[in-house]
Amino acid sequence: MIYVFGFTIIYTLIRQKDKLLRSKKNLIIYLLLSMIGIAMGIVYLINPYLPSISQVIEQYME
Amino acid sequence: MNREVTLRQITFMYLFISISTLLRQVPQALAMEAGRSGYLSPIISIVATVPLTAIVIFLIKSFPGLNFYEIMVQLIGTFLSKIIILFYLLWLLLVTTAKVTAYSLTLEFTLMPRTRSDFFMTVMIVLVFYALLRGIKTIFRFSELTLGTILILFAILFVCAVSRLRTDYLLPISTVNLSRTIMASKHVVAVGGNIIIALFFADKFGIAITKSQFHKLWFGSLIFTGLAFVITFFTFGISGTSLTANLPFPFYITVKSISFFNIFERFEVLITLICILSDYIAIAIFAVLLFRCLGWLFHLDQCEYLCIPMAVIIFYLTYYISSTQFEFNFLYRVLIVNLNLIFEYAIPFFIAFLCLIMRKKIKSNINKQY
Repeated sequence: MIYVFGFTIIYTLIRQKDKLLRSKKNLIIYLLLSMIGIAMGIVYLINPYLPSISQVIEQYME
Repeated sequence: MNREVTLRQITFMYLFISISTLLRQVPQALAMEAGRSGYLSPIISIVATVPLTAIVIFLIKSFPGLNFYEIMVQLIGTFLSKIIILFYLLWLLLVTTAKVTAYSLTLEFTLMPRTRSDFFMTVMIVLVFYALLRGIKTIFRFSELTLGTILILFAILFVCAVSRLRTDYLLPISTVNLSRTIMASKHVVAVGGNIIIALFFADKFGIAITKSQFHKLWFGSLIFTGLAFVITFFTFGISGTSLTANLPFPFYITVKSISFFNIFERFEVLITLICILSDYIAIAIFAVLLFRCLGWLFHLDQCEYLCIPMAVIIFYLTYYISSTQFEFNFLYRVLIVNLNLIFEYAIPFFIAFLCLIMRKKIKSNINKQY
């Protein structure tokens, strides 16, 4: 899925370049959110068995 | 006047997005916390949902034509408003992700146990993307069109289920459990708080709102309580408290035993369909709210280009919040319900309190502006 998402992000960047390049703010927010999403995807690909938030809360409450 | 969104549509939307949680999580949570008397908790929830409806109406009346962010700017200034909106953004992100997880778990539990959850999530993302392309009017009209049919179906289902009710599952109830019943009502209250979506779209209602339009919100609040009570009552009355407390989707199992005069059966497929439709609209409307919050936070006019990055974040966040049905149930009970109470009740109550204190000052400001 990460490849599909990566391709879609680049495709949207090219397709919406007028809107994104109109102001720096738009581009920065777009790139920041994309990087967060892709980073989350890469971390999940490297280790899909990371403890979930729910598991962490459960352990903390015990 | 041609309004983009009306209070009638907000009421329909409120009821429609609440249905899936009422069917899936509420009966189980009430059975676990309040036991046999849990079906009375929806009635107690009126104590919180009615004041919230009053507060929503009060804020819309006090600031005609302004949305939630603009109301907060008037009351607490831009800086604090942006901080609160940032927290709302994070909450909406969590709630949307939880909805996506709940939707894929429902499909895995009911119809397609062998299909992987990422397939369901991808389909949902594509459908929500399509809905967002068509605009919010389409989303609101879809809920307006579908809710009536769903309520009629529920009415038929409940009429057919009357003969299956077992009074020994419902009675006797004791005052000893009263405190637990009151505490358990927070699960209904947390869903009933969805009515605050009216504040997020308040700038689209126009400036002149009639009394009859506000009555629709009261009507929606009452229908919500009635629906929550009837769903819980029949789940408890047919499946019993202990079974309801231990099943991930007790209403689905309850409906399995209902038939229409022994002619039509297997209504559970329809229940799954209703849940999926409700989740679909809920995810779409939460996505709209997410983009509105992003727009308010960063002063963006259009946010459509942020759809794909947000979809990537939500997709992977589903893996990080919970990995099994049990973990999701725990997360819902411990985290999401309490966060809902903060963002749907505590903050709007605080804003309304400030509005009450600063009423004279605001009125003079508005008079100066116009």
